[in-house]
Amino acid sequence: MRSPGKRAAVRVVPDNETKMQKHISEQNLKALLDRLISTGTRVIAPRVETGTLLYGPIRDASQIDLSRLPRRSAKETFFPVCEDILSYEKHGQQVTVGDVDPARFAETVLVGVRPCDAAAVPVLDAVFTWDYNDAFFLERRRKTTVIGLGCTTADDACFCTAVGLAPDSSTGSDLFLTPLKSGGYACQICSEKGERLVAAHGDLFTAADHAETVPFATPSPGNIDLKQVKSWLDHHFEDPLWDEIATRCVGCGACAFVCPACHCFDIVDEGTEKQGRRRKSWDACGFGKFTLHASGHNPRDLQPKRYRNRIMHKFKYYDDKFGQTLCTGCGRCIRICPVGIDIAAIVEDISQRS
Amino acid sequence: MSNHIDTSAYSAVTAAIRSEAARLLAGGEVSAVIGYLPARRKGSAQPAIITSADQAAELIFSPACVNNLAVYLTKAKKEVPKSGRIAITAKSCDMRALAGLIGESQLQRSDIHIIGLPCPGVLSSVADPSALLTTDTVASKCLECEFNLPQGADFTPAVNVTPPRGPSRYAAEIARLEAMTPAERWSFWKEQFSKCIRCYACRQVCPFCYCEQCVCDRNRPQMVETTPRPAGNLAWHIIRAIHLSGRCAGCAECERVCPMDIPLNLLNRKMARELKELYDYEAGFEPQEKGPLNSYLEKDDQSFIK
Repeated sequence: MRSPGKRAAVRVVPDNETKMQKHISEQNLKALLDRLISTGTRVIAPRVETGTLLYGPIRDASQIDLSRLPRRSAKETFFPVCEDILSYEKHGQQVTVGDVDPARFAETVLVGVRPCDAAAVPVLDAVFTWDYNDAFFLERRRKTTVIGLGCTTADDACFCTAVGLAPDSSTGSDLFLTPLKSGGYACQICSEKGERLVAAHGDLFTAADHAETVPFATPSPGNIDLKQVKSWLDHHFEDPLWDEIATRCVGCGACAFVCPACHCFDIVDEGTEKQGRRRKSWDACGFGKFTLHASGHNPRDLQPKRYRNRIMHKFKYYDDKFGQTLCTGCGRCIRICPVGIDIAAIVEDISQRS
Repeated sequence: MSNHIDTSAYSAVTAAIRSEAARLLAGGEVSAVIGYLPARRKGSAQPAIITSADQAAELIFSPACVNNLAVYLTKAKKEVPKSGRIAITAKSCDMRALAGLIGESQLQRSDIHIIGLPCPGVLSSVADPSALLTTDTVASKCLECEFNLPQGADFTPAVNVTPPRGPSRYAAEIARLEAMTPAERWSFWKEQFSKCIRCYACRQVCPFCYCEQCVCDRNRPQMVETTPRPAGNLAWHIIRAIHLSGRCAGCAECERVCPMDIPLNLLNRKMARELKELYDYEAGFEPQEKGPLNSYLEKDDQSFIK
């Protein structure tokens, strides 16, 4: 059981005056990124690619666009949409299997990460180190420094404050930027990784003064009590609610694919008998073939059972296992659902039922 | 230049569909009405299937009523009962899909009661649900719409609407692509398809994607690579474009729902033009049993077979 405020307790550095703070001008932030790129560090930032704002590698700092929340979350920095996990070749009776060497993953700085995306990183850590240490995820994670960015605007799909986060949460960030009224950013140092980055580029940071910060956004979600949600879910595996939602749901994977915390994946072999790759790619509980067994049996054979899994996994199963919620309130699924399914409204409804 | 679109008709249409839906449900003429209900976010709407006359008072029609509800009548939506008579609210663009489904024997005309929606246009996918409807925020398909008053519905509110006027975005974009060299065009689509994450939102909202087993879901043997990579993405979108040729009625739902902003309806509009040119055929308001790509005639052009 956890209360909405509990997530804040897992911050790496406690939110008190001992937390180190520096300032960095907008120009120097760009200089920092350009310097990192020129010395071979991979810099991932929100940038427009073929018309859509996504987190992705930038060639230079001028590409960065911090104006709004990217369409997909930052999880793909650690958990790509699709990646090869081995290759195979067959010559006569000789089969050669080639491993992917995670050592080749580049040192990375992920910058401009919104609190709802940064907070999802520790959520994924728990999954990928639970019963099996995912070498691909962990190596990318180890090599990545996360620079978070506080939110000064929110829309009516944003609901981070209902799931124990806030537009100023530094959970998951190594450095956390807050925009200053006079331009530039206040930069909190939240971890040793963050401290190392600042130390290595100390010339670009200045001592913190009393410059005023831009006020943080104030999302206004409905009345959601995660404890009550969980206690209702504990006793309503069977409920007409699941049918009601699923009647509307068309069964695509858009919600899971834009989610910062969803982490289901599929593994397939693609290629020919002679050569090919084993690939890991995102899966979604909305799909009809999700959890289809080789026998032909599917324990989640109908859409109500699949949608139930989405809510149960986020607000009960993950909590049972790891003591927190598998949702950071980014609102992406609400904005993109083809049929307007609103997870914040559903969770609020459940909260009122208990 | 952005011009406001007159949206005064929406409230009159809303009132009319409420009373018609209440009448149908109270009198037992239909077992359910598929329509739109307001949702939590400011200005937003969502599809709903209502079964009691009381709920009819909540139905709405607004610029945020973007969905083509015909998808709920297909066998892909197993949760919606297909027995008995069902009423559906439909804009003109949605009615083409209903005609297509009737033509393909997926629906019986006598099993549905169509409540036509006089429509001044709906919002595009990039617009916030609370956005003002203007010639900038209106969906591209609405700028091409010639039938703002649905034809052939069982009931259409007597409300006059003015269609949005503006240059066709599809025509301009198709002209731009046609002027490209094949290499340039290839690079345009390669870039677009590279964004695809295979969420299949395009397939799931499409009234004509009702296959029991999509070719993309076959894995014994695998027909199309399922991972979101160039080869499989290209194969998927080309298969879909071909499979919809002569069937796609232009509701543009695939394009609206694509979370990666891939201009999917451009493919469908281009194919529709080709079919018009080659066979003088278009998917319209009349149910047609077979389109040109699934019929064979002795006089068909054979010259391409070498």
